[in-house]
Amino acid sequence: MISKFTAIQGESFDYWKIVGLFGALFVLGLLAFGYIEIQGHHVTGMNQKVVWGLPHVFAISLLVMASGALNLASMATVFGAEPYKQFRRFSAFLAIALLVGGLLVLIADLGRPDRGLLTMIHMNFRSMFTWNVFLYSGFVVLCFLYLWSMMEHEKYVKITGSAAFPGRVILTTGTGSIFGVIHAREVFHSAITGPTFIAVSLSSGTAICFLLLASTFKATGREFHPKLISGMRNMLIFFTLAVFYLIVVEKFTKSYSPAFYDVEKWVLTGQWAWLFWGGIVLAGIVAPLAILTHKTWGNSLNGVMLASGLAIIGEVSFIAHVLLAGQTYPFNPFPGYVVSSSFQDGAFGHYVPSLSEFMLGMGGVGVAGLIYLLGIKFFRLLPKKAEAPEHWAPWNP
Amino acid sequence: MTMDRRTALGVGGAVAAGTLLAPGIHLIAAPQRTEAKAGRRWAMLIDVTKCTEECTGCSDACAKENNIPQIEDKDRQIQYIRKLKIEDKAGKKPPISLPVLCNHCEHPPCEHVCPTSATFIRKDGLVLVDKHRCIGCRYCMIACPYKARSLVYQENETPVAELNGETPIRAAGVVEKCSFCVHLIDKGELPACVQSCNQSHGGAMMFGDLNDPNSEIAKKVAEVKSLTLRADLGLKPHVHYQGL
Ligand code: SF4
Ligand code: SF4
Repeated sequence: MISKFTAIQGESFDYWKIVGLFGALFVLGLLAFGYIEIQGHHVTGMNQKVVWGLPHVFAISLLVMASGALNLASMATVFGAEPYKQFRRFSAFLAIALLVGGLLVLIADLGRPDRGLLTMIHMNFRSMFTWNVFLYSGFVVLCFLYLWSMMEHEKYVKITGSAAFPGRVILTTGTGSIFGVIHAREVFHSAITGPTFIAVSLSSGTAICFLLLASTFKATGREFHPKLISGMRNMLIFFTLAVFYLIVVEKFTKSYSPAFYDVEKWVLTGQWAWLFWGGIVLAGIVAPLAILTHKTWGNSLNGVMLASGLAIIGEVSFIAHVLLAGQTYPFNPFPGYVVSSSFQDGAFGHYVPSLSEFMLGMGGVGVAGLIYLLGIKFFRLLPKKAEAPEHWAPWNP
Repeated sequence: MTMDRRTALGVGGAVAAGTLLAPGIHLIAAPQRTEAKAGRRWAMLIDVTKCTEECTGCSDACAKENNIPQIEDKDRQIQYIRKLKIEDKAGKKPPISLPVLCNHCEHPPCEHVCPTSATFIRKDGLVLVDKHRCIGCRYCMIACPYKARSLVYQENETPVAELNGETPIRAAGVVEKCSFCVHLIDKGELPACVQSCNQSHGGAMMFGDLNDPNSEIAKKVAEVKSLTLRADLGLKPHVHYQGL
């Protein structure tokens, strides 16, 4: 089994070109970090209302995607889906890469990143943030143990893989709960926010796995069995439907409560409605479903790759929408009254991200990309040939 | 070329495990910040009928006392206390103007969410921010339902001669808010806004220890009808409003 895995050669000019590209993103991220750090956050687009901007969108998107990237491995180890066993290593490694990228952006965007270590020294166990420090580092540890057992001690795979599975569920619930537990914000507060984050993580994680697998196999001239395309396409369909379901349930529930009329109307028609309709609904749900269930597109590698790309756009839109709509919707300490002040009470917030924020976020993507590229070169993470069992017949539209 | 994966996995795993375990090691070392006298409960009562829309006596005094720089950028300026105008939607009642500040909540969500306990509750109920411990994560700003917190977006450039030596100036990157002028209370004085309001403006503010039955504020709160903002959230704010 193990002999089937190989590292890629990674000596071609094209390979180093991509490494250089991600390396450049990383350097740009570092520059942006230095700039924001020295100048202060006023050079960003953030203000007293929108205090979590584009870097948070990048960071949380990467973190959510990281937990979803472990999906292929969990499918094989926990749910016994034989065809994905060959991608377990890749899947666990990618999860770590994305997580590290996301975390770096999160830390770099702190008002005082130099004090980051304080989160380790003075812990407040009532804070969802504190829990997330444990969840993130715990998740990395679990992924490492899982990888280690896959590479060295197959007999522990069942146990490490089974431990990583609840780890990722808890991790994403934790990330979603950063928002869900906030009572004061109408857009955030919901018991279903955590589960929705999980569904979004499953769809975007599967999508990134598919994109990277398909392109890496293409670039290195390895074979990728068409049945695998169908299998992963089906997963993507299922997870996209789960996202759709949870979003509908949330809207349905809130539409029953007059207290939410104003905010829901604004979410669906206001300033960030384009992110909701264009990003989440169209790019994230409708278009991928149309492509994936189409007779020809749904069976072509390019079709599924396109749908995967759209699913990732959907994920980022979802995170951006939660964050930006949640923060720009005005507080009103006097429900039922019209309020105004010199501190912009009662007014909708506005936010235009700056270039430095974008660069900082892309820096995280650069780090994740670099880790992935170096990982597939220096470790035997990928199968020589992606095969599919003969008796396996995935559903087809 | 393949790296010895045993070594690489080992190093990676150890780093990750270290990050996981490090927090536990320091759990006990966190200092207790309990300078204040327990049993007290500082609170404020504001009679909004004495507040006019034009008057900014409280916020002006606050800015001066607490070294709050007056920056042009409306989106990023810092306000500890602000005048809010409320009008009912039907326009039947005349508009009301009232000051809003940190409510020093008994169950403050800002303190619950703060990962480093930079925001803490003193024994006398004051909710304070340790500016040396705040990492600027801004989660508290997301959690406070009264918009009582501000991030310091840029360094304070006020000349030293114009600064009040008794209150610290904050470095960029941390979050700050009204402290009920803790430095004055601890000397037995009233917060700057209350002093200013009562000396040269409407006289709308009362401040004191709610737990002391003989204090003026405790008697008044027992006597008049007052309410707190967003009582539905269950945070038990300690700024009471009379005449709303
Ligand atoms: S008003 Fe806001 S900042 Fe003040 S204690 Fe309450 S939650 Fe915290
Ligand atoms: S910004 Fe500072 S005070 Fe606020 S939650 Fe973060 S560490 Fe605590």
